[in-house]
Amino acid sequence: MARVLEVKDLSVSFFTPAGEVQAVRGVSFSLEAGEVLAIVGESGCGKSVLCKSIMKLLPASAKIKSGTICVNGVDITGYKERDMNKLRGRLFSMVFQDPMTSLNPTMTIGAQIGEAVRVHEPRISREKLHKRILELMALVGIEHPEERMKLYPYHFSGGMRQRSVMAIALAANPDILFADEPTTALDVTIQAQILDLLRRIQTQLGTATVFVTHDMGVVARVADRVAVMYAGKIVEIGTAEEIFYEPRHPYTWGLMQSLPAYSKGKKTLSTIPGMPPSLLHPPKGDAFASRNPYALQIDHEEEPPMFRITDTHYAATWLLDPRAPKITPPIGGRSHE
Amino acid sequence: MGRKNPLAYFGKKCLVFVFSIFVLSLAVFYISRLAPGDPLVSYYGDRVEKMSPKEREWAEDKLGLNDPLLVQYVRWMENAVHGDFGISYKYKMDVTEVIASRLENTLILGGLGFVLIFVLSMLLGVLCAWREEGWLDRAICKIGTVTSCIPEFWLSLVLILIFSIGLRWLPSSGAYSIGKKDDVWDRIVHLILPVSVVVTGHLWYYAYMIRNKILEEVRADYVLLAKAKGLKKRSIMFRHCLRNIIPSYLSLMAISVPHILGGTYIVETVFSYPGIGTLSYESARYKDYNLLMLLCLMTGIVVILCGILAQMINEKIDPRIKATEEAEISEVKKR
Repeated sequence: MARVLEVKDLSVSFFTPAGEVQAVRGVSFSLEAGEVLAIVGESGCGKSVLCKSIMKLLPASAKIKSGTICVNGVDITGYKERDMNKLRGRLFSMVFQDPMTSLNPTMTIGAQIGEAVRVHEPRISREKLHKRILELMALVGIEHPEERMKLYPYHFSGGMRQRSVMAIALAANPDILFADEPTTALDVTIQAQILDLLRRIQTQLGTATVFVTHDMGVVARVADRVAVMYAGKIVEIGTAEEIFYEPRHPYTWGLMQSLPAYSKGKKTLSTIPGMPPSLLHPPKGDAFASRNPYALQIDHEEEPPMFRITDTHYAATWLLDPRAPKITPPIGGRSHE
Repeated sequence: MGRKNPLAYFGKKCLVFVFSIFVLSLAVFYISRLAPGDPLVSYYGDRVEKMSPKEREWAEDKLGLNDPLLVQYVRWMENAVHGDFGISYKYKMDVTEVIASRLENTLILGGLGFVLIFVLSMLLGVLCAWREEGWLDRAICKIGTVTSCIPEFWLSLVLILIFSIGLRWLPSSGAYSIGKKDDVWDRIVHLILPVSVVVTGHLWYYAYMIRNKILEEVRADYVLLAKAKGLKKRSIMFRHCLRNIIPSYLSLMAISVPHILGGTYIVETVFSYPGIGTLSYESARYKDYNLLMLLCLMTGIVVILCGILAQMINEKIDPRIKATEEAEISEVKKR
C-alpha cells in the first residue's frame, strides 16, 4: 500500500497573550492509501489542531514549531498559502464538526457544491457541472437532488447538511479526507447513518480518512487503525483490534472503561479522575501520570518513549519497560510482561 | 405577525410614521416659540428697535404672535393640512418657495457626499479586512480614528484657511459664482471643500463598521469549509463574506442618511453654502417660525422614513427570515 500521509515529530503551538499553548507536541503517524485512521482523545487534547495544522487551516496565532508533513512523498511543511490553495480540496479535504455553521447561509447548496467542483475544473461546462453536482448529491445520499440543489442550508436538517458538507469535501476527489468529529453535533440516529455513509463512500472511492472523535463507539464502527491522543501527544497507536482487545496504555484503559458497556450492572459509569493538564504549561514527565492509578515514580520525572509491541502497535508508557513491575490490566487480553 | 397581512403591516408602519411627525411638529412649535428671541426682527429688520410699544403690539397681532400657543398651533396645523405652510418672515415669500430654491443645492452636496462615503467606506473596509492586523490596516485604523474625531466646523475652517485664503485655489463659500448657476465646472470647484469635509467626517465610522462586519464573517465556520475546499482568499472574500454583509450594509446606508444629513447642515453653515442647512440655521437664529417648522418637519420625515426603510430592508433581505415565512406557507399548503 502506498503511504499518502506521513507526519513526523510535528509540534504546533498557539502564541496567545497568556503564553505559548503547546497544542500538539511531537506527533508522528502515517496514513496508508484507502485506510481509516481514527484519532481519539478527550476535548482539547489537540486532535482537531493536528488535522487543521496539516491542512494549514489554523489562525495566524498558531505556528508549526517543528516536524515535517509529507503528502504522497512531498514535504509540504513549508508551503505558503498560495501553494496550499492548490492542494486543498484535491489532495485533502475536510468535514467539520458543526454542519449548522459550516455552510454559507446565503448560498444554495448546489452553488456551494458547484463552487468546490469548479475550483479544480475551472473550465467545466454548465451541463457537466450540473451533472456532477447531482452525482455528488446522490453519492452522499441526498434524495431528489434536482430540487434540493436549489435550496438553502436552512431548508436542510443537520444530517442533510452534513451530507452536503461531505459532498463539498469530496467534490474534487481528494486522496485524504479529514473528518473532524463529523457526527458530534448530530442526533444519535443520524450519527449512525452518517458513519455508515462515510464508511461506504470511503470503500467506494478509496479515500484515506483521518477520523477525529472522542467517542470510542464511533471508532469501533469506522476505524482500521486507532491513535489515542492525550495532552497533545499520541500515547498509543495500533490497529483497531489491537487497541480494542489488547490496549496497553493506562489512558486507553480508562477510555475503554468509561464506555457504558463496561459499566453494565454497576450503579455508576466509570470515569477517569481529574482533568487533562493545561497545555500552557505541560507537566514534567508523563502528562497522564497524575491521573494514572498505575503511575510509576519515573512517570513523574521522565517522558516515556514509544515502546514497540508489534509492528503496528506502539504505546508510550513506562509499564512496557522490561524493568517495570508486572500489572494485570483491568481490561484486554495480555498483561504487561 | 403583521407580515402575514401586508396591508396591516404597512398600515402599522404608516400609523407610527404619522404619529411621530405629529409629536415632532408639536415639539418644534413649542420649543421654537419658548426660546428667547424676537421674531419681529426677522420681519421688520432694524426698524424694530425704533418701534413704539404700540407699534410692536400691532405688528405682533398682525403676525398672530399674541394668541395663546395652542391657538397658534391649531391655526398652523389647519393651514398646513391644506398645504399652506405660511410665509417666511425674512424672505416674505411662501416657505415652500424659499425651500424649493435651496433644496437642489443640498441634494447635490448631500447626495455626492453620501455616494462618496459609501463607495469609499466599502473599499476601505475591504482593504483593511484583507490586510487584517497588517501595517496598512493598523495605519488606516489609527488615522481613521483620528480624522473621525475632528469636529467638522473646525476642519472646514482649517481647509478654508489653507486652500482659500493661503493657496487661493478654491472658493471659501457659496454654491456657485454669481451668474454661473449652470456652469458645472464652477459648481464642482465650489463643492470640493464642503464635500471633503462631509466625507472625512463620516467615512471612517462606516468603513470601520464594514471592516468589522467582514472580519466577523471571515471568522465564521463556513469560511473554513470554503478554504478547505480550495477556494482562493479573493473568492471567499468577495463571493462569500461580502455577499453576506450586504443586508447589513444596505440597512446601514438607510440609517446613515440622517447622520450624513446632519453633517451636511453644519458644513453648509460654515461654508455659507446656500442650502437647507444654512436656511435652517438662519431660520432658528432669526425666529423665522414658519420656515423653521417646515424645515424641521422635512428633516424629520427623511429621518423617520429612513429608519423605517432600514428596518424593512433588514426584514426583507435576510433569507433566514424569509425561510420562516416559506415554512409557514408550506405548512398551510400541506393542510
